[in-house]
Amino acid sequence: MSLQKKNIVVTIITGSFFLFFFLMSIQKKPDAFSYTERRKLSQRPTISVENVLSGKYAKDIETYATEQFPFREQFRKIHALSNRHMFQKKDNNGVYMEEDFLCDFNYPLNKESILYATDKFRFIYENYLKEKNSKLYISCIPDKNYFLGKKYGYPSLNYDQLFQMVKKETAYMEYIDIIDWLELSDYYKTDTHWKQECLIDVAQRIGLAMGNNTLHTEYKEALLEKPFYGVYYGQASLPLPADELKYLNTKLFSNCSVYDHENKKEIEIYDFEKANGLDPYEIFLSGPISLITIENKHATTDKELLLFRDSFGSSIAPLFVESYKKITLIDIRYIPSSYLDKFVTFQENQDVLFLYSTLVLNHSETLK
Amino acid sequence: MVFSSITFLFYFLPIVIILYYLAPSKLKNTVLFFVSLCFYAWGEPKYILLMIFSIIIGYVSGILTEKLQNKIYRKLVLFISLFIIIGLLGYFKYTNFFLENLNRIDGVSLKLLNITLPIGISFYTFQIISYEIDVYRGKVFAQKNPLSLALYVTMFPQLIAGPIVRYADIATQLEERTHDFQHIAYGIRRFILGLGKKVLLADVLAEFCENLKVTQDGSVLYFWLYAINISLYIYLDFSGYSDMAIGLGSIFGFHFPENFYYPFCSKSITEFWRRWHISLGSWFRDYVYIPMGGNRVGRIRGFFHIFIVWMLTGFWHGANWNFIVWGLYFSLFLIVEKIWLGKQLAKHKYLSRIYVLFILVVSFVIFNETSMGQILAILKGMSGCDGIPLISQESLYFLKSYGITFLISLIAATPLTKLFIEKLRRNSKLDKAINALEPFLLLGFLFVITAYLVAGTFHPFLYFRF
Repeated sequence: MSLQKKNIVVTIITGSFFLFFFLMSIQKKPDAFSYTERRKLSQRPTISVENVLSGKYAKDIETYATEQFPFREQFRKIHALSNRHMFQKKDNNGVYMEEDFLCDFNYPLNKESILYATDKFRFIYENYLKEKNSKLYISCIPDKNYFLGKKYGYPSLNYDQLFQMVKKETAYMEYIDIIDWLELSDYYKTDTHWKQECLIDVAQRIGLAMGNNTLHTEYKEALLEKPFYGVYYGQASLPLPADELKYLNTKLFSNCSVYDHENKKEIEIYDFEKANGLDPYEIFLSGPISLITIENKHATTDKELLLFRDSFGSSIAPLFVESYKKITLIDIRYIPSSYLDKFVTFQENQDVLFLYSTLVLNHSETLK
Repeated sequence: MVFSSITFLFYFLPIVIILYYLAPSKLKNTVLFFVSLCFYAWGEPKYILLMIFSIIIGYVSGILTEKLQNKIYRKLVLFISLFIIIGLLGYFKYTNFFLENLNRIDGVSLKLLNITLPIGISFYTFQIISYEIDVYRGKVFAQKNPLSLALYVTMFPQLIAGPIVRYADIATQLEERTHDFQHIAYGIRRFILGLGKKVLLADVLAEFCENLKVTQDGSVLYFWLYAINISLYIYLDFSGYSDMAIGLGSIFGFHFPENFYYPFCSKSITEFWRRWHISLGSWFRDYVYIPMGGNRVGRIRGFFHIFIVWMLTGFWHGANWNFIVWGLYFSLFLIVEKIWLGKQLAKHKYLSRIYVLFILVVSFVIFNETSMGQILAILKGMSGCDGIPLISQESLYFLKSYGITFLISLIAATPLTKLFIEKLRRNSKLDKAINALEPFLLLGFLFVITAYLVAGTFHPFLYFRF
């Protein structure tokens, strides 16, 4: 190709690129939502003299133009694939993939965060539980980086130090170690959470530690038909297969009544409306709700369990139903600890379990 | 508006190019002037009047200086206009710095002013100064057409981050310039390469630095990685912007001067300053160093001039002590090279390069960190004092993860790629193949850059704060 021809071709090809995306951008209707990132996308900002003069309009329109760019999802994939294959970058947006599992660093160890969380637990203990003769237990759920981080040389927090800190700061509780009952395959590949169908032995281990007999309930696995793309899927932007979301069924659950105190309504253990929403993991006890009670109408015991938990607790809580008449699930990310006595009945001899993932413990600023 | 943004690339630029090339020759300057005002006003409209005021001062000064016959009057006009223009720069850029430092004196408690630095003021002020002095010196004729002078100052490709284009360099192009596919294609290529430097390398290195900062790591490797990264980041960010500016200039028929010439390949600090931010270095040489007497004075006085010029060069970069220290740091090596080291360095091809790289890496730590305590902590870490570990898992991970980008950035800081392509082009068949491939490579490059812009975090240009 002659130099002159090349110059013409360069001008036409690159000019067409800019022109094409310019025309596409101005005619494209804005999307309301990014399903892979699970977030609202910015909409066309309103123009006003004040906004223009302050520079806010320019900033807002930049965000709008970027978030509403034509073929954004495809470009995000090009970005992720270039990062991974061309630049050999080991993570994308802090999410890496090993053994087909997507995982984030959850790094470094935030000691202040651990202390903040254990201070919250202590506050609850001293204000509501100390005088009640309750049996107190605590357990930490490791995130996936525990299994993959060190093995593949990724930055990884010092989990032993984290567990030791929790044990030391909550010495008034019995620590239940569940590490040996967990392995990587107990977690979803594209999500942060653990799989309910893999938790029977973990529930058994916790139950035994809390003085309950071996669980006898037999569960049947059921599969949610909808493919499950977890929270890491959108962050990683890599073309990956979906997870399967399975849930455990037993007759026992039909004898349970579940009440959502936040929205003041009866709910089910499995919420199929939420399962078809943005985050199918919300199938378990309808997702993030501050206060839920599960009553086992056919219970052979009067025992009650107060379960202070994060989202990991939603999937394991139903597996404790067999051993209790009533389970109260409390998520202090959505209800302040100082108001708990207004909504929760603290009684003598309740079992109390604090069950938290290392993800929340290391970023505990959300605990109230 | 920044070049590496979706609004610039896919809204502003296509509209501007269409308007510019549809406009008849007589109106091209008018189109370019108005779109440049829009470019500047985008995001910071309130300071547009300040820029126009500075242009008017420059215009009137140029006309008067040329018309007046009396030397004293000419000097007076130049002095007054420079006083106003430099005064504005001083007020907006340095007032709070001086107030903060005065407040350090016991008993002094002056209220800081609520001033934001107008974007590009350091660049366009220096352009107007160079124009006024060149007219005064009789090097160029005063521009009679206010639109042409305004276009020289406001032209959006070089308005906010340089290069500092001299009026003399583009005076004739302002009146008459050619537009052909050769210049347009060159401009496109240069612009895309600069955009790639910024988006694919500099921004990723910035992310690398941010990630390193988050770690609680304190190994020697960490500190060295951080320092080298910062050096490469600053270079690629700024030279990428200059490439884009030169490329855009070429698309609109202008030939802007080069601003960087592989500065990290220098064999002395003296040579480095002939390759780094060339337009700024030559500006200080022509308008400060030489008028002071340059090196045509006694040795000690000459060293003093170097000291002053590099202190001002540092201070130009920002109203903070670290920039002053940065400038003085270089003056020290420039003086030592003049006294003795220069001749020694000329004898050692490799040792001289290691010396330069070491000096530069330290210099960019000074440049980047505003707190002197932080600078000292990084330098201490690099030295391996306090028995810190040599390497750590975290530093190794980030080195592996960003290794390819890091390597490409190192190569991009050298002329290796350019030399390699030139060598390939000597073979006529390969030359034809490269010509055939080039448009598609550029297109692929554009796709990847766009993907990074759409998916990535927004990083403004580093030199915007100057």
